[in-house]
Amino acid sequence: MAANAPTSTQVSAIPEQGTSLWQDAWIKLRKNRLALYGLAILVLLCLVSLATPWIAPYGYEEQNLGLGATAPSLQHWLGTDIFGRDMLTRIMYGGRVSLAVGFIATAVALVIGVLWGAIAGFTGGRVDALMMRIVDILYALPFMIFIVLLMVIFGRNIFLLFFAIGAVEWLTMARIVRSQVMSLRKQEFVEAAHSLGLSQWTIIRRHIIPNTLGPVIVYTTLTIPSVMLLEAFLSFLGLGIQPPQSSWGLLINYGVETMEEYPWLLIFPGIALSLTLFALNFLGDGLRDALDPRTSKD
Amino acid sequence: MQKLISSLLPVCTVAICLILSGCGMGESRVESGNREGILHWGNATEPQSLDPHIATGVPEHKIITALMEGLVLKDSTTLEPIPGVAESWHISDDGLIYTFYLRKNARWSNGDPHNAHDYVWSWWRALQPALGNLYAYMYFPIYNAQAYYEGDLQDFTDVGVKALDDHTLQIQLENPTPYFLQLLDHYSLFPVHRPTVEKFGTADERGTRWTFEGNLVGNGAFTLNEWKINRYISVNKNPHYWDAERVKLNQVYFYPTENLTTEERMFRAGQLHYTYEVPVDKIAVYRQKKSQELQISPYLGSYFYRFNTRVEHLSDKRVRRALAMAVDRQKIADQVLKAGQVPAYAITPPNTMGYYPQSNLTFDPDQARALMAEAGYPNGQGFPKTEILYNTQEEHRKVAVAIQQMWKDVLNIDVVLLNQEWKVYLDSVANGDYAIARAAWIGDYVDPNNFLDMWLCDGGNNRTGWCNPDFDQMILEQAPKAKTHAERLKIFTQAETLLLEDMPALPLYIYVSKHLVSPSIKNFPQNILNQPSFKDIYLQAPDTAMSDITGKETN
Repeated sequence: MAANAPTSTQVSAIPEQGTSLWQDAWIKLRKNRLALYGLAILVLLCLVSLATPWIAPYGYEEQNLGLGATAPSLQHWLGTDIFGRDMLTRIMYGGRVSLAVGFIATAVALVIGVLWGAIAGFTGGRVDALMMRIVDILYALPFMIFIVLLMVIFGRNIFLLFFAIGAVEWLTMARIVRSQVMSLRKQEFVEAAHSLGLSQWTIIRRHIIPNTLGPVIVYTTLTIPSVMLLEAFLSFLGLGIQPPQSSWGLLINYGVETMEEYPWLLIFPGIALSLTLFALNFLGDGLRDALDPRTSKD
Repeated sequence: MQKLISSLLPVCTVAICLILSGCGMGESRVESGNREGILHWGNATEPQSLDPHIATGVPEHKIITALMEGLVLKDSTTLEPIPGVAESWHISDDGLIYTFYLRKNARWSNGDPHNAHDYVWSWWRALQPALGNLYAYMYFPIYNAQAYYEGDLQDFTDVGVKALDDHTLQIQLENPTPYFLQLLDHYSLFPVHRPTVEKFGTADERGTRWTFEGNLVGNGAFTLNEWKINRYISVNKNPHYWDAERVKLNQVYFYPTENLTTEERMFRAGQLHYTYEVPVDKIAVYRQKKSQELQISPYLGSYFYRFNTRVEHLSDKRVRRALAMAVDRQKIADQVLKAGQVPAYAITPPNTMGYYPQSNLTFDPDQARALMAEAGYPNGQGFPKTEILYNTQEEHRKVAVAIQQMWKDVLNIDVVLLNQEWKVYLDSVANGDYAIARAAWIGDYVDPNNFLDMWLCDGGNNRTGWCNPDFDQMILEQAPKAKTHAERLKIFTQAETLLLEDMPALPLYIYVSKHLVSPSIKNFPQNILNQPSFKDIYLQAPDTAMSDITGKETN
């Protein structure tokens, strides 16, 4: 047995070309079939959303009061709502809003949260204490009041909605990143990097951030759906988007009202939203595994 | 009265209630209520206030009439005046002097004696301008009340309200007012308990704590027991009430059931005896079952949109008329509302005391486009951004969405929808902070005057900034002096024609009242004002064998 054991390191004449973190990640991700499906679905949904104004079968506000709510048929594949509006069209347009809110608001939260948490965690001391107290204060502020205030001051505007949600969602992200960074900066490999003379910024870039990516990605994939639902909630209160525009969250909200009479008004937007959430979760899962620098390279 | 019907929120609360009652107890709230005499009443929203001189809404009205009472009451079937705090009254031959003889056994809910001086003081309070009583004009039939309210008269003793002795109240009117007795059953003319009001602030201070749980003292059949914000308001039978022996209910719970769908589910789960509304899409289901729980009846209420005439582009009456002509009311009534609402082309509901408004308003897209072009917006070009404001509720949203699209189709203009919670919405409209606002008016008494005198210049419930001295003159001067009923109605017709010509409000439809009513509620006749008399209602668990007998069609 021992005789056939392969040598663990094959010494070749050419020095091994080191692969970057991202190359590694891509190689690993490609082997994760579920994550790839997730990615494909997301890309497809995004493409459909982008192309909606050209490919939608009807106008999203086109009413046909005489028709009313009808079950799926050949003319209206996903049925019509109580105003006789085509559900497929409305779901496609709703997807534009929901995906945009989901991605943009989460991106805002991600950028602010990661930077804030990393700086606080890495610097430590008084700066850390001050920054985290600010987070605590914002936490204590009921987020509804915060968003309502923003809306009242700056007026209702869909981009402000993205920003307002992002500005609320970054708090947890900052805390997660900070705690990760705090535990990382005392680890041997960081100290080793220090003693090798690497600059602070290089250490953050090469060692700290890659090591925080796992939890950050998981949290991000959780944030996107909660942001989409938050948007629906705000719109329902009259703070987000307003009819005749719609989003998946709103469609679901309206669908719930009539789920016994017209179940398709709830089921189809529900499928669209759950499909997105599943895709995001599988992709997030895959990315976390792929990006974890602690798993061995193979 | 402002008609609300509003929205979402206490969903969580309601959900928790459903969960709590769903499991655990074997008996539903309605069943235990039937046994213990506790009525569970869906009341649409958290009240704006329980102060009768401040509140303006229908949900508030329901609670206040349980807690307080006026000189006269209305028979809940015929709506004829019947004795309340006054056991009898005398009207002079010229119809100007009303003398009320108050009951000796009338008491406030803390046991204090209740007498004629309470009315003089309360009405003085209601006419203090600082109180901001939007219903102050309800007092204007009383001699000198308007002059006093507007500051032309300083001395309240010159107003036509006098306590001749502790139990005799004399009221002098400006003109014979056929609906005056009906007015006395309106909460804006209810008395308030002076020591309580003064204990928590000055008489003309708004929003003091005198109406809160533990503080409020009333003279009605019930007393305020608990006020749990966004959960419920409960009232207990008042032992000091003069007619306490006849009151059969021990308690009434009022729930802020803003979400219609949730309310309907609560009803089905045995959480409510009575719902404030029925969701549009459920009506067909209940009709199909021939359910006797569904009660749809005529309702003296008008649904309309207010135009804020202080907004520049809406100050042009051509624009207002164009917008009104571009709405297909028949379609809204038949295909959006679906409960037998009648399309309205005037503000006053037809056949209000024999009054039929004349209207030249029709659904006329061509004329609407022409008027719009004349006003400077050909094919909708350059029409400024306009918002429709409504209080959060599904039915208002549906109507607004349909109208938004009709205006887009006919006039090619884009309007934005904006929804606000009931209290915020009331504030926005009262402050003129809107462009177009959904509104409704429910009769306080059965007379066309009720739907027309709100449009007086600076009337508390006008809120559109519209003002036409000719109209005021007809309502305030001519109509009250009319010799015959027919002549009076003719003046109203002229006034309403004027109103519709200027169109500060866009009439949409005449209400029907839609409720789910538990068969265990007894002695609860429907009337066109949709006003319940809580002191008469009693509960009796239906005999299960009988409950399947098919219901009456109440359409």
